[in-house]
Amino acid sequence: MAEKMDIDTSNGESKEEEKTGGPVAPAEMSTEKIISTNFALINQAVDSFDPRFTLRALRSIATLRKREDFAQALGAGIRQAFPKESNNARRVLEEMLPESVRQQQNGSAETNGKKDEVEVVEIAEVWAYLGVLVQVYLLDTASHQAGATFSLNLVSKLRSFNRRTMDPLSSKAYLYLSLFHENLAPLPPSPQSPVLTLRPTLLAALRSAVIRNDSDTQAAVTVLLLRNYISTADITQADLLVAQTQFPASAANNQVCRYLYYLGRIRAIQLAYTEAHSNLEAATRKSPTTGAAVGFYQQATKMLIVVELLMGDIPERATFRLPVLEKALAPYFKLVQAVRVGDLGGFVKCVEGNEGRFRGDGTYTLILRLRQNVIKTGVRMLSLSYSRISLRDICTRLSVESEESAEYITAKAIRDGVIPDSSLDHEKGDLLTHSGRDVYGSTEPSEAFHERIGALLGMRDECVRAMRYPGNRNREAGIEAMKARERERELVGEVLEAEDEEDEEMGGGMDGL
Amino acid sequence: MAEHELYHIIHQLEKPHNLQQAPQLLSKAKLGLLHIQALVPSSDTTPQHLHIATSVLEHGALLSIRLKDTEAFTRYYQQLQPFYSLPHDRWQRDKRPSNQSKVTGLYLLLLLSVGDYAGFHTVLEGLEMSSGKKQIEKDELIQYPVRLEQALMEGSYDKVWGETKGERVPSAEFAVFSEVLINTIRSEIASCSERAYPSLPISNAKNLLFLDSEGAVIQFAQARGWVAKEGRIYFPQQEAEALAAEKDVMSSSNTVIENTLGYARKLETIV
Repeated sequence: MAEKMDIDTSNGESKEEEKTGGPVAPAEMSTEKIISTNFALINQAVDSFDPRFTLRALRSIATLRKREDFAQALGAGIRQAFPKESNNARRVLEEMLPESVRQQQNGSAETNGKKDEVEVVEIAEVWAYLGVLVQVYLLDTASHQAGATFSLNLVSKLRSFNRRTMDPLSSKAYLYLSLFHENLAPLPPSPQSPVLTLRPTLLAALRSAVIRNDSDTQAAVTVLLLRNYISTADITQADLLVAQTQFPASAANNQVCRYLYYLGRIRAIQLAYTEAHSNLEAATRKSPTTGAAVGFYQQATKMLIVVELLMGDIPERATFRLPVLEKALAPYFKLVQAVRVGDLGGFVKCVEGNEGRFRGDGTYTLILRLRQNVIKTGVRMLSLSYSRISLRDICTRLSVESEESAEYITAKAIRDGVIPDSSLDHEKGDLLTHSGRDVYGSTEPSEAFHERIGALLGMRDECVRAMRYPGNRNREAGIEAMKARERERELVGEVLEAEDEEDEEMGGGMDGL
Repeated sequence: MAEHELYHIIHQLEKPHNLQQAPQLLSKAKLGLLHIQALVPSSDTTPQHLHIATSVLEHGALLSIRLKDTEAFTRYYQQLQPFYSLPHDRWQRDKRPSNQSKVTGLYLLLLLSVGDYAGFHTVLEGLEMSSGKKQIEKDELIQYPVRLEQALMEGSYDKVWGETKGERVPSAEFAVFSEVLINTIRSEIASCSERAYPSLPISNAKNLLFLDSEGAVIQFAQARGWVAKEGRIYFPQQEAEALAAEKDVMSSSNTVIENTLGYARKLETIV
């Protein structure tokens, strides 16, 4: 399970690149050039206090890590940012890179004319950015232990900086910190896994993020904590965390997606299926469906399907035909078929056959609960098809052991509302169905419509709130609007004066009479 | 010295007759554990102390079940949790506490009997994660509550009846819960029968509800407000429901009006 999640999150951060279909230029630039452009972007971000530049710089991580000369470019970048070799910050970063990269000496090393102290203060964000790049490099070379220790140092240093421009960078740093710890032996869900030692660190980070109003880090750390708790099945702790904290409303979309997904999982385990369903549905709707982040969409859809089955609804067949989902959802398709028909034998076979895959997805325990759903669906099918059917036949159709069991099961089904308008005839041992229930005569359609309307109106409100106006254009439009209003006022004033003059004339005329 | 005392107390607890004195013995034992600082396991607790502590707490748990003190049992279970989550190498000679599955199984059964299915599944998830499925399947003491839960959810109450009766119960402590469970399923069956059958002959009701005599059936029927006439039981609930359904139409017009006004308001805001 940790592996699958790994793919999710490492693809998740490339979602940011997906979002605006990243600028074409970096693909053609050399790796070193990209890193220096990012330095410029980060400086701009610090100067203008606008996080969008930092985000753009972070987006290029996905392209950078695929380049073969990543390590060399990284070394060159470090040398460019900190020309003095004795600089402590530079040494910390360089320690993590292999020897070959460190030895390369460019002829012109002294490009920057800045002083030492000025360097450290002004481009602390650059140092943080390089730190994140080093983390990425260590993760890609699977040096997890080194990565874990380096990340802990990086994170504690970042916490000491109380700078808002650092926020996107520190949230990334925490993400990689968490990923390193998940890969250290013993792997979760063992109770001795190092992820447990990480919890106090993450909780402290959450506290400081909330105090400093740092919504990026707050969102990222909350999601990481939930992931941590779920990986060791500490569901009660995860539930308490959700109850005690607030997820920031201004968080980025991909963090919101992840949060909804983990929340849905917790609710599903706690048997609160309706809530889980709404959470997971929102997660699937908000997640990107193409590109490198498809893994998350697949995972969320799998959970959604299982929760829908547990609620008693059958998911639509069209979901299984989407090209991105077809292969991933193949075993789930068979599962849905078995549940739909009420075929208990087929269900058991499907579960046993795909046990490994279901365990990997973390849905195995939920699927085991589906057994009673299969039976309920079977009973429902039978009551719809027959107006009168003997209990013995029900017994054979549902593969239930005894007639008594069948009787109890049908009685319970009637009580639970699975087959309304039915009754049992005990002497003859039959199930009777009284048909003639007109759905349109009841309030069901209007309730369904009401739900849908509510959801759509809510979505519209969210869209309106999320709209952003770029500063300059607005100012110009505002100025023009103001000018237009002034002109109108003048016109109105003139008209009123003209009326007054007329009145005076009229009045004078009257007097004259 | 303290250990010596503790061994003595454990020995006494294991004798079956001391049920009444058990609570005092247990509090003495817990004090002793505090003296040797073994009540909560830390990194420097010796394996010997771990063994003593777990056996004291487990005895406490099992005895509180026999005394039907569910609060005390839950407390002992919580206290045992940190011990159970310790890794294998802390226990020397590969001797894990022997009663772990029993105590866990009893806790699961307790959750079932109060109807806390969410808690039941949460604990089960935690177990699957830590021990793996193979071990759980082989473990009869844990499979018992799992089977019961499955049967309860399905609604095959005769299976539940069969499990709680006699030989299939894994051990004496589980039998304590049998009574509670049987009462639960009896009320479940009763509410199902109210909806499902228009009427029932009393002899059939006797079999359905697992009651011993027709007198007991009539008593039960009266307690639930059913009408017993001419050897048959009539369930009155459905007529009341039919009336309620009719009223629905009137009250639903209120909801319709409210909803429509809401739509109108929201639509106005759309420019």
